[in-house]
Amino acid sequence: MKKSMKLGAIALASTLSLSLIAIATPSASANTCPRKATVTMLGTIKIEIQDQFLATVAEYNKSQNCYTVKSIPGDRKLTFLQNVTPMYAAKNAPTIMYTLQEIPDMADKVMDLKTTRIARLVSKSLLASGNVNGRQVGVPSTAEAFGLLYNKKVLDKAGVDPSKIATRADLEAAFKKVEASGKKPLHFSAIWWSLGAHFTNIFHTNVGKTKEARLKGLDDLVDGKANIANNGTFKNWVATMDLLKKYNAGKVNLTDTEYDASIANLAGGDFGFMFQGNWTEPNLITASKGDDFGIMPLPISNNAKDYGNDSIPVGVPGYFMIDEQQSTTWQRKGAIDFLTWLYTSPAGQKRVAGPVEEGGMSFIPVYKGFKVEPKTYMAKEISKYASAGKTLDWMNSYYPAGLQEEVGKVSMQQYFTDKISAADLAKAIENAWKGKPKTWRGEAA
Amino acid sequence: MTRARSIKKFMKFAGVPLAIFIIVLVVPFVNGFYYSFTDWDGFKATKLVGFANYTESFEDPRFWSTLKFTALFVVVSLILVNAVAFGLALIVTSKLKSKNFLRTFFFVPNLIGGVILGVIWQFIFNSALVALAEKYDWEMFKESWLQDTNKAFWALIIVTIWQSSGYMMIVYITGLISIENDVIEASQIDGASPVRTLFSIKIPLMAQAFTIALFLTLRSGFMAYDVNVALTGGGPFRTTELISLHIFEDAFAEGDFGTGQAKAVIMFLVVALAALVQVTISKRYEVQR
Repeated sequence: MKKSMKLGAIALASTLSLSLIAIATPSASANTCPRKATVTMLGTIKIEIQDQFLATVAEYNKSQNCYTVKSIPGDRKLTFLQNVTPMYAAKNAPTIMYTLQEIPDMADKVMDLKTTRIARLVSKSLLASGNVNGRQVGVPSTAEAFGLLYNKKVLDKAGVDPSKIATRADLEAAFKKVEASGKKPLHFSAIWWSLGAHFTNIFHTNVGKTKEARLKGLDDLVDGKANIANNGTFKNWVATMDLLKKYNAGKVNLTDTEYDASIANLAGGDFGFMFQGNWTEPNLITASKGDDFGIMPLPISNNAKDYGNDSIPVGVPGYFMIDEQQSTTWQRKGAIDFLTWLYTSPAGQKRVAGPVEEGGMSFIPVYKGFKVEPKTYMAKEISKYASAGKTLDWMNSYYPAGLQEEVGKVSMQQYFTDKISAADLAKAIENAWKGKPKTWRGEAA
Repeated sequence: MTRARSIKKFMKFAGVPLAIFIIVLVVPFVNGFYYSFTDWDGFKATKLVGFANYTESFEDPRFWSTLKFTALFVVVSLILVNAVAFGLALIVTSKLKSKNFLRTFFFVPNLIGGVILGVIWQFIFNSALVALAEKYDWEMFKESWLQDTNKAFWALIIVTIWQSSGYMMIVYITGLISIENDVIEASQIDGASPVRTLFSIKIPLMAQAFTIALFLTLRSGFMAYDVNVALTGGGPFRTTELISLHIFEDAFAEGDFGTGQAKAVIMFLVVALAALVQVTISKRYEVQR
């Protein structure tokens, strides 16, 4: 009796050590795991590619035996922080988290990914927003761009060449031409996050030609020293918004249902332009059954040579983070294994960059060694802008938590519906920034 | 019976509910009260900050406008929900043939969750009514009601009435059918008109139902959250945020858990005071039989 127990103990110990070896190898091969670890992820990167992402997760789960990745839906109406705080409080934190502006809030709860294989496959500039005080707390998902999206068919019919639009006056002329062709020029979306994060970025990113000058712009706002109402960039930016408001033919709708309506409008072929990002491309292609959507810069002044008029804001929309406080080593290994599979294996890459119709997410690759390239028209256009260096910073990566809600839901929507003046808007933006932590200078969130 | 035995007996019957009450209500409440004096960020509290969260709350102009908006919402919804519910109760206790069907019919909206209800009505106000208005030229609905603070307020009221009057109707039905028939018959023999019967006999004899219904609507008015989130989301311009949503946004969106918690304590005091006043006043009108 005693002997057999001893034998059993040895057998147990050897399986345990075997499994330890399995943990040590970066991508654990099949059939060597004593038990499966469940790796949870909050959300599905983005709602637009939810189905494709869930299919990707299923494929990963089938491809190996050690981990089960499970996506927790979360509440779409709530922000990342609103979803994740109660989960932490309940000691039920997701292993993988995905966000952008709340990275500084999470930095002390997630692991340093600096030494992982995938972190080494990304260029330094794209890692920047996921680096907090020297710790690489996040790795990027993709690169995205926003600007003026257009329906190629509508512009062709109206005789508008988007590549020739270099100034605000050119843009107005283009709107007029589209109108003359019997179509509606533009759907300017009043949805709060588009106004609060992306449209305001057009101002913050055009403030200076160097990164330091742009960050200084934010510094001044936090310190209460900025007087943006008298800032030339601000005036130009407001004038551009006025132009977009004037030619907006979309129904003004301040609620979230606006998003679907704007996509339906551009895809439907009645509208020439909309201000949005390339994340809408999968939906546009699905809705219109055609690949006719391009992207162009939003010129904010009447001098074609002014900084920013020929460039589009390109940035990382979010970073993956891995919890270090409430997960097991095994779960963390699983999380890294999943992300590595996603961005380095042929099957994962096909899912990441492949076309939507084939179950892909149509992401623009940001990791080295990608064998799959996106083939859609807009994605190719963005690559052209990127390789020509005609990109602008996503200053919205630095917005403190809650700021884009405040500015987007209140002041920007108020200006959009003519409730306040441009001077009020300037004051409101200044007030929203005052006293916020300068996370870009290493201050704690 | 000895003291120990009576405690034992008490615990046998009330132990479990008491434990649940303490765990899910008392402990979080005390905890929350404590957090309102700390610099809690939702993840950890590092130090006590005294009344800083409270002074900060009172200095927040949006907190004041939210309180005002909530007070208005509570008063208007309290009056209208109860008026509608009492009217419905009178209808379904009358001699109508379809009264059983109507009871179910009026109660059903209460079974739909607030969020789903909010989404349904958001569609009605944003899309359905706007589309119909354009077709038939109804000036009133041409712009979505959720786009304008005042109209969005009435949208909130309409949905609240639609949702909760069915429930309050049940409370009033119970009150109405508990009145003995002989009192009503006596009044009819004395020649009282139906209106006179209603105001002099029925309402005084069912004052208890009013106490309960008014208390419930008062409380749910202050606590309203799900319909608010799903219908207006606080928009336009965060002017239709009721106090619960405001606290939630403050704590979770901006990460100001300290002030959020302080505002929650202030709100508790306000609700407790209002409920106390209401119950004391309505109790006076109750008749002992």
